[in-house]
Amino acid sequence: MLFHTWIFLIFFLIVYPVYLLVRTRNGLMNLWLMLASYVFYGWWNPYYLGLLFGTSAIDYAMVLLMDRSKIQRTRKLWLVISLVSNFGFLGFFKYSGFMTENANWILEHLGTALRFPDPVAYPNAMLTLFGVAREDLFAKVVLPIGISFHTFQSMSYTIDAYKGTIQTERSFVRFLTFVSFFPQLVAGPIERAKNLLPQLQGTPQITESDLGDGLSLFLVGFFKKVALADYLAIYVDKVYAAPGQFRSPALIMATFAFAWQIYFDFSGYTDMARGIARTMGFHLMLNFNNPYVATGLGDFWNRWHISLSTWFKDYVYVPLGGSRNGTFATYRNIFLTMAISGLWHGAAWTFVIWGVLHALGRVATWELERSEFYKNNIPKFVKQIAVFLFVCLAWVFFRAPSVGDAWLVISRIFTSGYADPQCPILMLSLIAAVWAYQLFYSGRSRTKWLLEKPAFNVGVAMLMVAYLFVVAQPSTKAFIYFQF
Amino acid sequence: MNPNPAPAPDDQPDIFTAYGSNAFRLPLRQWGWVLAFAIVFVVLTPWLWPRLEKLEPAADFRMNYDLSNDYWLYERAAKMAAERCDTMLIGDSVVWGQYVKRDQTLSHYLNELAGRERVANLGLDGAHPVALAGLIEYYAAAVANKNAILFCNPLWMSSPQRDLQTAEEFRFNHAKLVPQFSPWIPCYKENVAARLGNVVDRNFAFNGWTGHLQTVYFDKSDIPGWTLEHPYASPLSAVTLELPKDADTLRHDPVPWTTHGAQKQDFAFVPLETSLQWRAFQRAIEILKARGNRIAVVIVPLNEHMMTEPSRLACAKNRADIDTALRAQKIECFAAPILPSEMYADTSHPLSDGYRLQAKQIVEKQILSDAK
Repeated sequence: MLFHTWIFLIFFLIVYPVYLLVRTRNGLMNLWLMLASYVFYGWWNPYYLGLLFGTSAIDYAMVLLMDRSKIQRTRKLWLVISLVSNFGFLGFFKYSGFMTENANWILEHLGTALRFPDPVAYPNAMLTLFGVAREDLFAKVVLPIGISFHTFQSMSYTIDAYKGTIQTERSFVRFLTFVSFFPQLVAGPIERAKNLLPQLQGTPQITESDLGDGLSLFLVGFFKKVALADYLAIYVDKVYAAPGQFRSPALIMATFAFAWQIYFDFSGYTDMARGIARTMGFHLMLNFNNPYVATGLGDFWNRWHISLSTWFKDYVYVPLGGSRNGTFATYRNIFLTMAISGLWHGAAWTFVIWGVLHALGRVATWELERSEFYKNNIPKFVKQIAVFLFVCLAWVFFRAPSVGDAWLVISRIFTSGYADPQCPILMLSLIAAVWAYQLFYSGRSRTKWLLEKPAFNVGVAMLMVAYLFVVAQPSTKAFIYFQF
Repeated sequence: MNPNPAPAPDDQPDIFTAYGSNAFRLPLRQWGWVLAFAIVFVVLTPWLWPRLEKLEPAADFRMNYDLSNDYWLYERAAKMAAERCDTMLIGDSVVWGQYVKRDQTLSHYLNELAGRERVANLGLDGAHPVALAGLIEYYAAAVANKNAILFCNPLWMSSPQRDLQTAEEFRFNHAKLVPQFSPWIPCYKENVAARLGNVVDRNFAFNGWTGHLQTVYFDKSDIPGWTLEHPYASPLSAVTLELPKDADTLRHDPVPWTTHGAQKQDFAFVPLETSLQWRAFQRAIEILKARGNRIAVVIVPLNEHMMTEPSRLACAKNRADIDTALRAQKIECFAAPILPSEMYADTSHPLSDGYRLQAKQIVEKQILSDAK
């Protein structure tokens, strides 16, 4: 179910009034939200509700067992079981095809006849043992939508519980609601238990400000997705579908357009998610904060997919030693964290390279960004442009269907010469308007006062509504990050 | 990711409380203004637009073929027809005149025989009965209380596929007009979100208006798609407020079917009692009756000359069954006689002479006679 479809509107018009009625009775509220969330998730593929329920149930049980255990080694065992089950499911559904493909490639080049079977053979073999007919077996492994998001959210709970930084959640239904809360279930923000669980334990207060802010977030998110991301997608898709047929200007424009497309698409989703939650009295964490005005790569990752950045910081970088063990270890930890985060995005070499590029960039600019010279002597806009160009270069690998295509795009950017990019002026104007808005709003801009005028904001809202009504089309395009 | 982050810039927020990149926020009261604007915009725009973009009445008016999916314009055409004529011919491309010019259509010859403009051509290309019922329900309210001659074309029941009964997906015309949920159409495989979108589209004039803009000014594409083809043009410049002129050129060579070397064909007519198209046709009649229309039905004479003998017999039975069913419902009905072979261009479309002859037959039959 996508936020920007009629189906979701009907779903929400049913869920919301009942939620308002039951929210003062905590047990009922959580039960209702859990049921609604399972319907929301099951709309794509009801079979994967079992996976969502299963991983949640294991984590819930492991934390209860941890809570009852006084022995540290036993507590660790429960944590390991939880992590193995989460990474096991994630690994099977998301990475098994990629790993099998690469392992078989290596075996082939070693000259052996040994080959690993298609991953779907494993569950099918089990089903066959139970007498399931051949025609009823799975044809392929289908990636459950949002699996990386809900497993990471659930894992953060077990790790925090192990570390003793959160209290054990006793209510199974409330825990299921925490993992599956529909506004942020499939594409984040990846909530921490310490932020969301306490909200689910009390009666959410819905103030006038919550409703106004929730609607504002939703409108902006809706506009980003339907009016901007889906618009940019048609140009990007056209160029990236056949990069060999386009010259340098079109490839550059398409890469810039993709940078904005993915930002509008993903931040649009999280804006809508936060807006919906806000109208229900829940406060979800910030996930984007004007990433394309960042003045350094560190700053960029402070602003992009914040809930994942902080997850990796807390659960990968810090446990690896962070910056506590000297320069080399710091660089190593930064590199590993960024590279793993690349793989988190998808099981393909393009994502690995994307992560490695950011890792290299981050390592290379680590000292520079901390230096007084960089902070004080380089004009802000130069830093912003440099960061944006680097991020765009990395996006080429993120967007291209294969490493070969990514190289083709990059090489043709530098070698293919000029041809009219045929990039719509309207599209460029919209991006320019949004960029200008972000620039004027960020920092200590002198024009910020204008953007905060009620009349200006009402006017902008009216323009967005009119544009959505007239120009933007009803869209059923999924969000890019659903695949992760 | 954010290992050991750089010092926070001035605008770095607390991630659990901040509004962040969405600096844009309106209090609830200001949302009231936006809501009011949205309502006024949605209601007023389709109401004002016809005052800016004139739909000029022309002799023997019929819908511009290229705008056949512009139902909002059809609605305006129906309104204009209701203001000028007392009898509406409603049906598919047989009524519209697929192989003839405007002044060779059935409505033209009926008007010629009447000596004045009393019959309007509200035919729409590809409007099979399931779509026709939707067209009448949502876009032809303006013809309430008028005489309506509905054309029942048995061609739409001449195979399970044309009757939309096949289980595999089949892309048919005017899917936006058909029932989206009930009755269930087996070959219509659109997803639920799109079906809901279609329901919304036909119930809100504003959506029809945006569809009209796309059809008339943006090459039947959405505006973003149009800008991809016209990257340096302003979408505003494309909105000329002038409807495209119907070129009134022939869409096909107006020659008898025999000159194509067409062979006799088999048709697997669907029994009336199980036909989706027939059920929809009856729904169309019910809608018109409920709106106070005086109704007659003309059963379109298919080109039986190009049917094999078993098919010809099945076709004759189908026509007879339709005739019987309509008479049982006390609907005035005229099973138009089969035309001579040379007056057909294909299975169902007459050529100019065929229309002339049919017009004469309809007048002689005195259909809806006391209205003359």
